[in-house]
This record gives sequence, C-alpha cells and structure tokens, in this order.
Amino acid sequence: MDDTRPALRLAGLRKDFGRPAVDGLGLVVRRGEFYALLGPNGAGKTTTLRLVTGLLAPDAGSIEVLGIDLAGAPAAAKARIAYLPDEPMLYGKLKPFEYLEFVAGLWGVRADAAEARARELLDWLDLSPHAHELTEGFSRGMKQKLALAGALVHDPELLILDEPLTGLDAAAARQVKDLLLAHVAKGGTVILTTHILEVAERLAQRIGIIRQGRLIAEGTLEELRARTRGGSLEDVFLQLTATP
Amino acid sequence: MNAAPGGVGWLLRHELRLAWFNAAGGKEGAGKRRPGNAAGGKEGAGKRRPGNAAIALALAGWAALHLLAWVTVENTAAVAGDDPRILLAIAAMVAAGATFMLSSAIKSSVLVLFERSDLDLLLSSPLPSHSIFAVRLAGVAASTAAIYLFFLAPFAHAGLLQGQWRWLGIYPGVISVAVLCSCLAMLLTLGLVRVLGARRTRVVAQVIGALAGALLVIASQLQSLSSGPTQGRMREMLGDLLRQDGVADNPLLLPARAILGEPLPMLLLAGAAAVVFVLTARRTHRFFAQGLQLAASATRTRAAPAAARRHRFGRSLFKAVVVKEWRLIVRDPHLLSQVLLQLLFLLPLFFIMFKRSDVQVQAVGAGLALLCSSLTGALAWVALSAEDAPDLLLVSPASLRTVRRAKLAAAIMPVLAVVAAPLLWLSVRMPAAGLAICIVVCGAVAGAGLIVFWCGRPGLRSNFKGRGKGGFVMNMLEMFNSLAWGALGWGLAGAMRGALSNEGWLGILGGSALAVIVLGTGWLLRVKRS
Repeated sequence: MDDTRPALRLAGLRKDFGRPAVDGLGLVVRRGEFYALLGPNGAGKTTTLRLVTGLLAPDAGSIEVLGIDLAGAPAAAKARIAYLPDEPMLYGKLKPFEYLEFVAGLWGVRADAAEARARELLDWLDLSPHAHELTEGFSRGMKQKLALAGALVHDPELLILDEPLTGLDAAAARQVKDLLLAHVAKGGTVILTTHILEVAERLAQRIGIIRQGRLIAEGTLEELRARTRGGSLEDVFLQLTATP
Repeated sequence: MNAAPGGVGWLLRHELRLAWFNAAGGKEGAGKRRPGNAAGGKEGAGKRRPGNAAIALALAGWAALHLLAWVTVENTAAVAGDDPRILLAIAAMVAAGATFMLSSAIKSSVLVLFERSDLDLLLSSPLPSHSIFAVRLAGVAASTAAIYLFFLAPFAHAGLLQGQWRWLGIYPGVISVAVLCSCLAMLLTLGLVRVLGARRTRVVAQVIGALAGALLVIASQLQSLSSGPTQGRMREMLGDLLRQDGVADNPLLLPARAILGEPLPMLLLAGAAAVVFVLTARRTHRFFAQGLQLAASATRTRAAPAAARRHRFGRSLFKAVVVKEWRLIVRDPHLLSQVLLQLLFLLPLFFIMFKRSDVQVQAVGAGLALLCSSLTGALAWVALSAEDAPDLLLVSPASLRTVRRAKLAAAIMPVLAVVAAPLLWLSVRMPAAGLAICIVVCGAVAGAGLIVFWCGRPGLRSNFKGRGKGGFVMNMLEMFNSLAWGALGWGLAGAMRGALSNEGWLGILGGSALAVIVLGTGWLLRVKRS
C-alpha cells in the first residue's frame, strides 16, 4: 500500500435528501493529521462522515480511504477506520470487556492483542473499576469513553469522530483529547466535527469549514485568520459562515 | 378547584392532557430510530397526539358499544343483582381487572414520578407540593380508569336511558377500584424503586401485567383443561359456596355489589378510595421530601467483586455474535418474560390436545412444532431485526452475512436445546414417531428462523409486543409456517403409529405443500441487504 496517499480523499461527493445535504464536496486529509470539520447546524458534517464510513451510499463522487476506494473495496477500507458517532453505539446489557471483545471480533483483531489493548484502554479511560457493570447504568461521559475505547480497540489508522466531546465533563473531555492527541502522535489520523470551536482551535492542525454541503474554507488556523482578518477561530467561523 | 393558571385544576388539566398524549403514543421509542440509543429508550420518545382518524375510529367503536350495551341491559332487566352467582362472576371480573389496573398503574407511576423528568420543574414552582402529588396520583388513577370506563360506561348510559339505575354503579365502582389500585401501585412503586431502581420497577410492572394476561387465558380454559371428575368437583364446590348463608355479605364482594349499584357498598367503596387517596398522596410527598428521587436516579454502581473472573478474549466472530445475542436476551428480564409468556398462551391448546390419549403422540408432534416455531420466530426477531447498534455492524469490515448467520444460529440453538430432552425421550420410547417429530421440529425451527432472516425489518427490542405491526407479510408467513409444520407433526406422528385416515394423509400433503410455499414465498420476498 502506498503510504504517501492521503488518509482521506473526497472528490465531487454528493448526497441528496430532497435537498442537497452534501453538494460536490472535495476534501483531502493527510496522514497523521488532526483535521477538524466545522460548520453550522445542517451544514452536512454528519452526512459527510456517514458517507465516509459507508453508512450512506453517495449519489455521486468518490471516497478514497488510505488509498482504498470505499465503493470498490468497502471491507478493506473499513478495516482501517473507526467511527464514533455523537450517540455512542453501545449495548446496554453488555459489560465493557464484553463490548470490546465483540467489537474486536467485528474487526477481526487477534484475541490476545485485543485483550491487552482493551485492558490498556479501560485503564487509560478510568473505566476499569466499572468493568463488571452493565453499560446501561453508565453516565453519558462513561458511555462516550467506552465507545471511544471500542473505536480504538483495533488500532485504526483513521479515526472519525462526530461531536466526541458533547456532554462530557472537564476531566472526561481532557482524557478524550489526550487520547486523540496520542493517536495522532503515533502516526494515526483524526477527523472530528465539533461545535466547541476552542477544541478545534487547540487540537486541529488543519480546519475545514463547510456550509450547505460545500467546503467554503480550509487551512491552518493562521491561514484562515489571514483570509478573513479575524481574531479567534470563532470570529473566523462566524465571518465565513454568515449568511450572505 | 382553582382552574386559573397555577391552580390545582389547571395542573390537573395539564396532567390529563399529558396522559392523553401518552395513551396515543403507546409504544416506547416509536419515533425515529437513532442509532445506538435503542437500549435506553426513554418513555416519551416518539409520543404524539392521537390522530383524527384514531379518534373517529374510537368514537365509532364507542357508539357501537352503546348499541351492544342497550341490548344487553334490556335483556338482563329481569336478572336480580343480588344473586350470589352474578355477584361472584362480577367479583371475579373485578379481581382480574384490578390485576391489570395494578400493572398499568405501576407503569404510569414510574413514568410520572421518575421518567417524565418534570417533577423538579413543578416542585420548584410556587405550587403547593402536596397538591402536585395529589394531582399526579389523580392523573394515574384517571388514566388507569379510562380504558375500563370506555368499555363499561355504555352500559351505565344504557341503564340510565332505560331507567335501570343499578347500572349507574359502574361509574363510582370502576373509578373507586382504579383509585385503590393506583394508590397501591404508587406505594408499591415507591418501595420497589427504592430497592430496585426505576428501570427494574418498570420491568416488574410489565411482568405482572403479562403474567396476569397469561393466567387469565389459562383460567378461561380451566373448564376444558380439567378432566370430567375434576369438572364435577369444581361445580360441587362452587355450589356449596353459593349455598352458604350470607355469602352475598362477604366483604370481598363489596366492589361487585358497588358496581351492581347497591348504594351502601357504593358509598363505602368510594369513601375507602377517598381516604386511601389522601393518605397515599401524603405518603408520596413525604418520600420525595426525603430525597427518594435523587436516590432512584443515582447511578447504581457496584464495586468489582474481589475475586472477579478475568474476562478472557478469544472467540471467533461467529461465536462472539452468538454469545453477545444470548447475553442481551438473558440480561433483559422484560424481553425474556415476553418471549416466554407467549408460549404460555399456547399451553392450554397443547393440554387440550394432550388430554385425548388416542392422539397423544400426534398432539406432541403438532404442539412441539407450534411451540418451537413460535419461540424461534420471536428469538430470531430479537436477534436479527432488533439490533441495538446496527451502525456498529455496518461500519465494521465484518461480513454482514456471517454476522446474520450467527444471529440466526443464536436464535435457533436455544430452542433446539430446550426441546432436545423431550425429543430424546420420545425417540427412545417410540423411535419412528420420535424421528418424525424430530424432523418436523427441525423444519419448523428452520422455517421460522429463515422467514425472519429473509423478511425481517428493523425494529426496537422495547417494541417486542408490537413487532407484528412492523411486517404484515413476515407475520403471515410465520403463522402459516407454524400451521404447516403443526399439521405435518400431527400427520407424520399419526402415520408412524399405524394406518392413517384420508384426512391424515391430506394433512401431511397439505402441510408439506404449505411449508414449501411459505419458504419459497419468504425467499422471493426477501429484503435486499447491502
């Protein structure tokens, strides 16, 4: 596999739900990059992520994940990515280890490697003391952390997260952010959407802003600032997404 | 009662309006499905106002009930209300109705006290807190009584128009029983929530309701289930009871006498309901003042057992899916009770067939085929259609075909395990008939599983009872699959015992043809999955 190919390449991506949700979107995310996808409500962020993860089929355009055409070889592409939606995909009647074992099974991870990785993740996320409880009794933050552990248990190269910090307290949010930065430091790629602009400002190496399904701006924070002559990311974001 | 905004009347109106919306929504999580949140489906999700068509249909049904009531009241004008037989029959109906009332009132109590999440708002308002709980209890009682009044009030109206005043006892009788059941339910809920938490209390209420329903079906079949001598003994006992002096004055018959319009019992029942209502409202208020709500909503954390078994990974994808499905079913007592209780409804039929010694083996063949088909259909729906995290499976690289086959296996294996012992016993006693029944049971199980595998559409576990509404075709196929294999079981088992009549051969041929047609139709109508 050619390691110089981007982690994600979208070209002319289109998805229509009566009105265009994603409208000819083109985007390139490099390997080892922390990329934040921002946009106002209804801009098409979640639809884009669901297209990239294969949950939705595009009406037009192409999606290339780590050099693999998603439409041509979906299983090969999915094996290398993980997706964390805004609502954690959990089973209330499973315990954390049971959940992680199931997820590892779905991704075909070797049992010994999966077990060690699961223990490491649960320890890191302070979930080990709750390893013998059903997840239905977990708080929102604990569920989100367990879902993140599930996303990381197969050590994905590309991690895609939709609003991962919503509803988390400061300590949990810090743990999640540290984990994401560690993933990037190890050479992994992170793409996340968030409404908390400070998160994008502090973590992301590049930021893409979409509105009405189209990419309207992209670059580092400095590049975006220079383009709009704005101050904080919030100022830049509001300037760029203001309705004409 | 003050009807101005902020008054008790105003609050009661608000409470009744919520109960009305809730009655229309009926099912939990009937709204848009959100991936990943199915397990925690909060009451209230997907609730909507009753539609105009539903209201029109209910009104038309109510009008038809009035006609039926008119005729009934007219024809029973000569029947004396104090006849012990009538009193006993009404008392039995009140007892059965009260069990259902208790079940639905516990569910309503859990909803209004712990799940609706508006108590903090109300308690932080200037409304007197005693009034809030009194209104809440009144709302539970009203929603509990409503369905019974819907069916019984037409008789009261017909009695009023025909000058038979005793029928008017239906109103105070039903309302008083509903109030008493609601008070008992509220107190039970407060106690159970303290011990079990709100979620499990709700499960307890649902299990009580399901058990009451199943027992009622079995009780209704008691006559036909009993042997001739037992029936005679039962009639004798009932006769003795009715001949006893003062049986009509038994306090247990008070609600029945109140419903039949006797003034003093009516007054006593209504008085008792009023006193219990006031005491319960006060008690509820005191529980909440002591912080019950916080205790109930607190996350129940359990310390890890000191010698907890270390969880070992090492299953293949197929095994992991099978074990996951089994865990999800076994750990959901409400779902499990619903799956198993539907078998309870089939038992009377099975016993009726089994009573006749000349067709015992045939009855076993047909009964096992029906039971296994029904149980497999239910489990297959849970495993295949009611996946809690469908997106997780879709974003994974795992083969959907492997996952779905594992789910099908997870549904089939427990059923075969359950019937393995009786089939083995039968095969040892009657090898030919036993083998035939084994084949039939395997066919019924495979057929029921494949129908859901091919034609099942996504649903929510919490909506197990309403799964029939989600796929008419699948349900018809499941029903015909059961019938086909039931007929085959009857016919083949009979054929192994000796010469079979023409009807028996017709049953075998018809059953075989129907089984093939059902499977063929299921395959042709299979849902395409990417």
